[in-house]
Amino acid sequence: MAKVYLKQLLAGIAIAALLSGGISCRVVATSGDFYGSTTPPQRNILRYVNGDEPESLDPPVSAGQPEARIYLALYQGLVEYDPKTLNPIPALAERWDVNNDSSEFVFHMRRNARWSNGDPISAQDFVYSIRRGLAPVLASKNAYLAYAIAYAEAYNQRAVFVRDKETKTFLLEKHVADNASASTAAVSQKPIVSFGSEYDAGSTEPVADPDQRPDPGSDTAFHQFMHSPPRLTLPGGEDARTKLLAKNPKLQAAVEGKEFVPVSAEDIGVEAVDDYTVRISLSQPAPYFSGLLAHQLFRLAPRKIIEQYGDHWTEPEHIVTCGAFKLKAWLPYNELVVERDPMYWDAANVHLDEIHFFVTTDNPTSMNLYKVGEADAVLNHTVPNVWLDVIRSKKDYMDGAEAAIVYITMNVTKAPMDDVRVRRAFNMAIDKVNYAKSRRITKPLSAFTPEGMFVGYPQPKGEGFDPEQARKLLGEAGFPVTKSDGDFECKAFPAGQVEFIFNSNSSNKAMAEFMQAQWKQNLGITVPLRSMEFKTYMNARSKLEYNGFAIGIWGADYMDPFTFLGLFTTAVGVNGTGWYDLKYVAMLDQANRTLDHQQRYDLLAKAEKYLLDAQPLIPIETSSVNWLKKPYVKGMYPNAADLYPWKYVYIEREPSKWDYGVPSLAD
Amino acid sequence: MLRFIIRRLLITIPTILVVLTITWALVRLAPGNFYTSDKNIPPAIEKNIREKYGLDKPWYEQYRRTMWGIVRHFDFGTSLKYEGQSVNAIIARSLPVSATVGLLAYLLALAVGIVAGSMASLHPNSKRDYASMALAMLGISIPNFVLGPILVFIFSLTLYWLPPSRWNGFPSRNVILPVITLSGLYMAYIARLTRAGMLEVLRSDYIRTARAKGLSDSQVILRHALRGGLLPVVSYTGPALAFLVTGTVVVERIFVLPGLGNYFIQASLNRDEPLIIGIVAFIAITLLLMNLLVDIAYAFLDPRIRY
Amino acid sequence: MPVLHMHDDRPIIPGDRDKPEPGLTPDPAPSYSEGDVIHTAPEFAIAEADVLAAERGDVIPGTSLWRDAWRRLLKNRLAVFGMLVVAIITVASVTGPFIIKQLTGLTPDYIPTDVALLRSIPPLTGPEGSFSWTHLMGTDNQGRDLLARVLQGGQISLMVGIIATLVSLIIGVSYGAVAGYLGGRIDNLMMRAVDVLYSLPYIIIVIVLLSVFRSQTARGQVLLLFVALGSVSWLTMARIVRGQVLSLKNQEFVLAARATGVSTPRIIFRHIVPNTLGPVIVYATLTIPTVMLTEAFLSFLGFGVQPPLASWGSLVTDGIQNIGIFPWQLIFPGVTMALTLFSLNFLGDGLRDALDPQMRKL
Repeated sequence: MAKVYLKQLLAGIAIAALLSGGISCRVVATSGDFYGSTTPPQRNILRYVNGDEPESLDPPVSAGQPEARIYLALYQGLVEYDPKTLNPIPALAERWDVNNDSSEFVFHMRRNARWSNGDPISAQDFVYSIRRGLAPVLASKNAYLAYAIAYAEAYNQRAVFVRDKETKTFLLEKHVADNASASTAAVSQKPIVSFGSEYDAGSTEPVADPDQRPDPGSDTAFHQFMHSPPRLTLPGGEDARTKLLAKNPKLQAAVEGKEFVPVSAEDIGVEAVDDYTVRISLSQPAPYFSGLLAHQLFRLAPRKIIEQYGDHWTEPEHIVTCGAFKLKAWLPYNELVVERDPMYWDAANVHLDEIHFFVTTDNPTSMNLYKVGEADAVLNHTVPNVWLDVIRSKKDYMDGAEAAIVYITMNVTKAPMDDVRVRRAFNMAIDKVNYAKSRRITKPLSAFTPEGMFVGYPQPKGEGFDPEQARKLLGEAGFPVTKSDGDFECKAFPAGQVEFIFNSNSSNKAMAEFMQAQWKQNLGITVPLRSMEFKTYMNARSKLEYNGFAIGIWGADYMDPFTFLGLFTTAVGVNGTGWYDLKYVAMLDQANRTLDHQQRYDLLAKAEKYLLDAQPLIPIETSSVNWLKKPYVKGMYPNAADLYPWKYVYIEREPSKWDYGVPSLAD
Repeated sequence: MLRFIIRRLLITIPTILVVLTITWALVRLAPGNFYTSDKNIPPAIEKNIREKYGLDKPWYEQYRRTMWGIVRHFDFGTSLKYEGQSVNAIIARSLPVSATVGLLAYLLALAVGIVAGSMASLHPNSKRDYASMALAMLGISIPNFVLGPILVFIFSLTLYWLPPSRWNGFPSRNVILPVITLSGLYMAYIARLTRAGMLEVLRSDYIRTARAKGLSDSQVILRHALRGGLLPVVSYTGPALAFLVTGTVVVERIFVLPGLGNYFIQASLNRDEPLIIGIVAFIAITLLLMNLLVDIAYAFLDPRIRY
Repeated sequence: MPVLHMHDDRPIIPGDRDKPEPGLTPDPAPSYSEGDVIHTAPEFAIAEADVLAAERGDVIPGTSLWRDAWRRLLKNRLAVFGMLVVAIITVASVTGPFIIKQLTGLTPDYIPTDVALLRSIPPLTGPEGSFSWTHLMGTDNQGRDLLARVLQGGQISLMVGIIATLVSLIIGVSYGAVAGYLGGRIDNLMMRAVDVLYSLPYIIIVIVLLSVFRSQTARGQVLLLFVALGSVSWLTMARIVRGQVLSLKNQEFVLAARATGVSTPRIIFRHIVPNTLGPVIVYATLTIPTVMLTEAFLSFLGFGVQPPLASWGSLVTDGIQNIGIFPWQLIFPGVTMALTLFSLNFLGDGLRDALDPQMRKL
């Protein structure tokens, strides 16, 4: 009997302790230089809280960040991210050459790279991987990233060429274009005058060292095909094509009596010039393209294994990888373990024996694992915002600029947000400086590209906080704001018709509540808030099934302003506002065709200003990297995209060599 | 009896098909798709995805395909979200996690609940009885998503004794907190059931006789009363087990365990249709079988009920 | 905790009885014999001599029964305690926010304009760390007064609990009574439908309900919650009522009513249903805490009430997020909620004991 009461007693004590002692326990969490335990793991391993469960281990398939970090361990591309700057550094490619307008790239691959089963990695493997990644049947969500490659978009969207039945010649774009604009064509699409010259016209001095001299590979029939004027492509679907032709009589006449040939994988501008040289031809200049090649879409997948096992090739017993690490175990919704791959060409310089990627999306849970020393590092944005006052002073807190922004989209297709004055008013009624202060680590943003992320980019400024002007604008738009009792009122505004939607998480909720309070204080308008389950919210936003405001968060796919500005280059879905302006698209296009780097930035900035003036969105803040790593974890840097090339990471057991504070990104 | 069982089993099959049909329709009605993500997808790519998974076909065709696979091969297909993983395999590997935590929690609840309940019943309406029943009520009233974090706060974050979350196989220290969190509610119910059952039995003549003989409390309980007094607990076991196995969602979420409940919530949020249907089918079958077992058990335990 | 099937989550404990609740055996085939499971019948069947009175409309069973029950309830100290606590919390929730506004000027949704105050301040502490009476329970992450929010959350949680229970009561009682009274094939079909609904994962239903019939305002969302929760929690009620009706329908007073030509709906709703009130009230009382818990669970998943409104569930969920560092955010709403559920459960238990004649023997 005594036992029973002992248990009840214990339970009672536990509860009482919690009620009375809970408050004093706070002290424990705040003391010390570091957050929680600092005992390194026994073995030479890294335990990393990686966020969501990986959707797939097939590199082109998943678009998410957790997967990207796993692919960084398991797979290589031609280039790799620099651990600090994220700029492309050699990986499978030892070096690469770029033609004069960045529309053709030649990659020279190392000869000692191997798959984890020992097979050599060749240029054909890359060609296979990119063709597979773009195949419509694979349905990769990332495929759009490769659309700059010649005919990649056409192939991915099942488009067709138009071919004369007798002469077997293809109809070209210029045959049906309204105004022949051959002058704007990329170098890669112009006939070759003298082979190789397009690779050095820009350099003023001849390069002496033969290893440094550009090597465009050898000229081939495929290369000639790439350099011929672009062929016309039409939608593959019967319905879409008929519709298009009906609208354009000239096109209709040109197509009449010809046959349609599907664009095939072999037409994509990717060529294995020899076993270790890859040439990529783009349909437009893309200075950022080599940086893009570290993306998972361009990482290599093993042809032999995929053909042998089909969809099951990523299963632990079949999988073959090419990165510094190979798969050891995959326990879904728990952890994924990778171990050092002895076949990796640079295995001698890989420090960790194993990496354990833990699956959890819950921030407090991740913080708890970290605190008690069950995890050595956690992913970005794991520190809840309100904890920052406490955590920021810790020496294991990682702080840094992030290539991501937070903004509010407005549905410009529905009244009252279809009036640019109303949109501007709502923008000007938000005190972003104060908001950023309340968020503690973010920077207020008035443009659509992250503040100060791209060196030399003349970022334009949107309109700042000006409640007086905001009320005036609302009045002009027909919603006069009056003052009564010291509070503003805007009776004419149909507040019941608009809403602010966001996907439910505490940080979004806090933001929405702040904005709601701002609008109420400065405009006298109470915008109803609606927190939605994630999928419901995404659906409502991309299909414009909301009226008013929605939260938008965007992180860079590659380090160039275009990864942000490009969001508004399609009419539907992608941008979430319904705002689409051909002039804006043309401005971006012009910028990308500009060879001079600075001039291109200037033109991009001009386009951004144009976008800001139209105000389909309200910029809020530039995000900031915020995560934790134990001081003994070295070689991990708070870079702008939360991506870590794992081969550089190691465990330091000597406390004097630990990181006490944020490791420097410079040098 | 046998006729009753056969009849019930026969009814079970159409019931499950109806359940699956409704689930299928509900997933269709819910906004969003499994491929919806924070990066918007250009329409052309969306079209590729829809073709790949046969979502471009008319709904009755899709319905036929889904149901045929289930009826014919008991095959729920492969997960949409987790490329290439079959639903059957996901259930097969997540069920043991849920079952381990669930069974351990139930055993713990039985042990503590029965002891506490029978002790309380010995002196009904005493202070001791009130105290233990109040404590049991507290167990029922504190939601386990409050209890769990509190336990983590005390034993993990403050005392650094136990890991705060994650599954590390069984046995491991990781199991302790989830099991306690999960068992709280059931412990309380079982204590109350035991007390009620025991009170009934302790009033009966043979117990009075046993007491009159001068047997001690513990002898009376162990030798005579428990057998009859535990009937309600036994009948509660069926439904309780079904829910322990499948309904550990909160505990699995708090402690990040790769169990069935966690998968179910994830699948719902991901709109992963085959996985949702697979888990629903599994839960429905478990439930219906448990209900059947309980009915049979009643018939054996209580001769007044006849089928 | 109420996860897949909120209605099953609280198994009806035969409580302090040795037999299962009649409605709870999943398929209590219509072969229940009289005097067997119908232990409530003798008390509730007092109406048999009162057919005419019942016909006139005063269907409340003999007042002595209710007075008896009330007397027994008052004797049960825990139930009285529960009743008092529930009453106090209800009154505080309703009047509290007004009083706080009068005293301090703080409202539950007031976010300070000074960004230095946009943070979680410990209880009884001022912004500078000194002692202050302003925030008895401290503030939440945005500097809102936690006490005001807990009280306002109480309004919502109690309202969700009561109204969703009423919704489930209306559906469950009608459904169960009709099924039980009509019997036979219809009964079988209707109860099979209940079985089917039992096995449905209700989170999907709720997601669909809350997203298809979306609401523009926070208040509208609360209304939707009432309907969504009510419409998934009536199943057990239907089973209980059906079980009761099965046992009542062959009693003399029903037969008499039928013989005098009273219409079927009238028999069901004027004669039989009032006689099932005892168990219905008991179960309804026990449904309220379950529904409140479910609301909390929905908030845990992000489907609950919308800001700026709060419920105990949403406050607790926010508190869980910060337990490692601002424990008061979980402790105050959590304790208030647990105390209320605790009291409601005691009250429900007390009611059951009071309305259950078996307990008289004790």
